[in-house]
Amino acid sequence: MTAAVAAIGESGVRRLSVLGGLARFAFRVARSAGRLTRAGRLVTLRVLINQIRFTALQAVGLVTLLAALLSFLVIAQSTQQLGRFGALERVGTIMVVVVIRELGPLLTALIVVSRSGTAIAAELATNRVLGEVTALEAMGINPDIYLVLPRVLGCIVSVACLMILFDSVALVAGYIGAASTGMQLARYVQIVLAELAPKDVIITVAKGISFGAAVALFCSYHGLAVTKGPTEIPQAVTRGVIATVVAIFVMSAVFVGVAAA
Amino acid sequence: MSIRTSFFAEARRLSVEDALPVVYKEVDLRENPDHPDHRFNLTVSPGEVVAIIGDEDSGVGDLGKWTLGLDHPPSGRVVVFGRNMATLSYDDLLLFRRQMGYLQVGDGLLQNLTLKDNVALPLRYASDHRMSEVHERVEALVRSFGLADDAGLRPAQANEESRRRAAVARAVALDPELLVMEAPFDGLTGRAARALLERATMREDGSRRTVVITAQDLPPSVTSFLDRVVRVADGQAVEESA
Repeated sequence: MTAAVAAIGESGVRRLSVLGGLARFAFRVARSAGRLTRAGRLVTLRVLINQIRFTALQAVGLVTLLAALLSFLVIAQSTQQLGRFGALERVGTIMVVVVIRELGPLLTALIVVSRSGTAIAAELATNRVLGEVTALEAMGINPDIYLVLPRVLGCIVSVACLMILFDSVALVAGYIGAASTGMQLARYVQIVLAELAPKDVIITVAKGISFGAAVALFCSYHGLAVTKGPTEIPQAVTRGVIATVVAIFVMSAVFVGVAAA
Repeated sequence: MSIRTSFFAEARRLSVEDALPVVYKEVDLRENPDHPDHRFNLTVSPGEVVAIIGDEDSGVGDLGKWTLGLDHPPSGRVVVFGRNMATLSYDDLLLFRRQMGYLQVGDGLLQNLTLKDNVALPLRYASDHRMSEVHERVEALVRSFGLADDAGLRPAQANEESRRRAAVARAVALDPELLVMEAPFDGLTGRAARALLERATMREDGSRRTVVITAQDLPPSVTSFLDRVVRVADGQAVEESA
């Protein structure tokens, strides 16, 4: 019994220690933003644009496809169920509540984790293994500024933009689905707008920032934590992705609570 | 092009005025020294080119990292420009290292950057140069280190000599007062090693840079450039003639 409690305690302490390390890491990265040199700012901007190209632009096709498919599934299921109760007009409400508020941001963040989060964790772990992080520190360059900051900013901008794209495609696809049941465009827009509140816009932006930051920070943290060698890289990627996915779901739940309050 | 000095004032502020470039005091080079007197003591004077050589298990391979404050010895002190490296905070160490150059074992080049971009790194992120000044200085370094033909290559595409030259060009990009080089001549021909050391010891104003070299062995071609050769034996420094 004592051993079991001790084991839980040890694992709990380890998890708390990772959380503490992550918090310190996030603080360090935020603080490093103010220490960019003038040439460094220009180069960081270039790296940031590249990061947005990889994370957002190259994911446009995938996000569009998944948004359209998700809307199709939601509309197809809801029209069947709502039709039985003569409540087809509630299709727009379901689109806003299910897709725009919850599934859109969640799926967008998961797409970014699977595409860019894995790449970030693997790249930074390789940087660490090859001694490149030590080389940066030896030159007096803060690795947080060079390696992490552009990725964090890039992921924040990318996730926010992709969320807007996801929601837009989902709404258009939702209309196509609703139109097949005979709903007029004006009525659809009216229902959607009636359901959307300014709070939704604020929460979407907040989700874009927090989910984007979570993807970059969690994956960077676990990537840079590699110490032993190349065999640890896949483990670091797995740890980074799992931690990010859990964090995104937890944050989603927190946002639901905040919105309800 | 001369090196801007304003940005390095902060780094120099952390140094003690007129202090010696490097002093190793009672440093344990081995994990389990067999005698308490077997400690490493060495003083490097300004403008001196010193090679510290020793076998793989002598502990000489750790001296470079300790000198830069990237790691610390289990006991003893490494004092650089009057500051005990173990007492500086992480942020102060980053600042302090701008007056030091470092060639780590291998080359330490960033694999996803070209050789030219590697040379530009410290100028972009650890100096207050304008972008145009960075370009000008990088071009000068590329020419001076004979990298014009290979500048656009990634490290994996370049040969060992070009990679080493690029790594040294990067280490001296900020014209540091002190340069620490780990196994800089491994895999180079005698002529290439001599040319590399000759260029590395020269500062922008024509004066001689303080250089600390750690290696297991030295090619005969470079010995005439060295002021001192120190061999590590039983954890202690034993002077050899250069």
